[in-house]
Amino acid sequence: MYYLTNTLMIEIQNLSFGYKRKKLLYRNLTLSLNVGSIYGLLGKNGAGKSTLLKNFMGLLFPTTGNIAVNGFVPRKRWPAFLETIYFIPEEVYVPALTIDGYKNLFAPFYPKFSEEQFYSYLDQLDVKDKGKLNSLSFGQQKKFIIAFALACNTRVLLLDEPTNGLDIPSKIKFRKLISGVFTDDKIIFISTHQIRDLDNLIDRVIIVDNGELLLNASIPEIADKLCFKSVSDIPSTGKVLYAEDSLKGHAIVIENTEHEDSKINLEHLFNAVTENPVVAKSIFNH
Amino acid sequence: MQMIGFPGLVLTVVLILYVIIKALSGFDMAQRITFFVGLVGGSFFLGSFVFGYFSSNASGSSFLTLPASHFEKWLCGILIAGVFYPIVFLVFYCGIDTGFVALYHNGLDPSSPFYKQAYESVYTFDLSGVIAVNVYILFFIYTGAMLLGSLYFNKVSVIKTAIALCIICLVIFGANWLFASLLFGNIDDAAPFNHVAVPLGNDVGSIELPAGIAKICKYAFFYVMPAAFWLLSFTRLREKEF
Repeated sequence: MYYLTNTLMIEIQNLSFGYKRKKLLYRNLTLSLNVGSIYGLLGKNGAGKSTLLKNFMGLLFPTTGNIAVNGFVPRKRWPAFLETIYFIPEEVYVPALTIDGYKNLFAPFYPKFSEEQFYSYLDQLDVKDKGKLNSLSFGQQKKFIIAFALACNTRVLLLDEPTNGLDIPSKIKFRKLISGVFTDDKIIFISTHQIRDLDNLIDRVIIVDNGELLLNASIPEIADKLCFKSVSDIPSTGKVLYAEDSLKGHAIVIENTEHEDSKINLEHLFNAVTENPVVAKSIFNH
Repeated sequence: MQMIGFPGLVLTVVLILYVIIKALSGFDMAQRITFFVGLVGGSFFLGSFVFGYFSSNASGSSFLTLPASHFEKWLCGILIAGVFYPIVFLVFYCGIDTGFVALYHNGLDPSSPFYKQAYESVYTFDLSGVIAVNVYILFFIYTGAMLLGSLYFNKVSVIKTAIALCIICLVIFGANWLFASLLFGNIDDAAPFNHVAVPLGNDVGSIELPAGIAKICKYAFFYVMPAAFWLLSFTRLREKEF
């Protein structure tokens, strides 16, 4: 069963999932993701980031609870659903085809595929036509799949560790490309543990740890509620969520009671939230 | 490419085998062995390729998330391993068999006193004969099992499915042996499932299943089991998590 709706979103209600029934990775996770945002899913290794993406995609089925993506139940994997979503796993697969061969074979499955965009993205990511795709380097293969996925113009794009295997210039190009193609009728969901790769790209941050949702907040909301600054002495008052020695004293993350403007440091945010989940939740009212 | 290259390889092996076995053991053996190897063996291995995307996370995800229905994906696998390959093989097999038999017939000396006898000793393989029908049944069982096995076992599905099939055979035959041994003590033979041979003095007596039950068992093994394998592969594909 699926229901049609004009509201594009990913909705998770009381999701529990585990690879073993007795050892659940997620327990009663409830989360709503709305259109018009680039989400960054942050978590430690083994925190269940890829698992969550696979649940969105219908590659894994929830033990209990419900997921709806674009109004569809992912586990059915209906073509009408799969046309609206593209998943780039951490390791990509390309068959022994040329760029044109791949496009001719797979593009017809995606009604909104744009050939013009595809070649433009390949050009921007510096992927050259050098024979069969499986003979390209891993980074080139990944960039090719990213270009193809973006050209499919699906409403939901799920990327699992997209910058793994990319060199530094490619990471910059990737960020530019993602922010360039993003439109308000889409959701882009990026899972990574390489937090710095998401700087200036995402507009919402989701942090999961031990199967629990610790944070789901927009960048302005985080900037409003937390302050990231360097101090010579760690303040004894206020909720200090994280402190790290730096050249100029200490880099700290503290509750923003003074409404100061500060630049969000995603790495410090991640450490702050995972080290003090209870305090973080109280600040963000989860 | 695998889907084209592998059948090509099998057909080449069949041709070489045919020539070698014909030279060593004659036409009859060559025809039987190559027909079995080509149809059952070829389809078994091809069956492991058609749903063989699950050996890596990337290819498995790519296959399952391709916007096509489960039925379409399943049908593609069924058509490749169960329809197109057998047709190609049968056409090829008929071609080489007819060719070699014709070569043999043309090479005979019509003035030889044994010409008629030698001519009639070799004919093309009967594709509707008892042996061929048994091979068709084995083809349905083994290919169906492989299609299902490749959806259950993500890595080295060929080996794991082969082991699973061996275990099933051992259990079926072993159960017959076990029960026969318990009932009759000393038995001569109790395989596969429809009879037990018991030594009676210097003779061997055969106890067979009643005709009605034997028929049910035969239908179960020859028709129900392969059909179940082929259909279960669809259900498994639909419920596949990766």
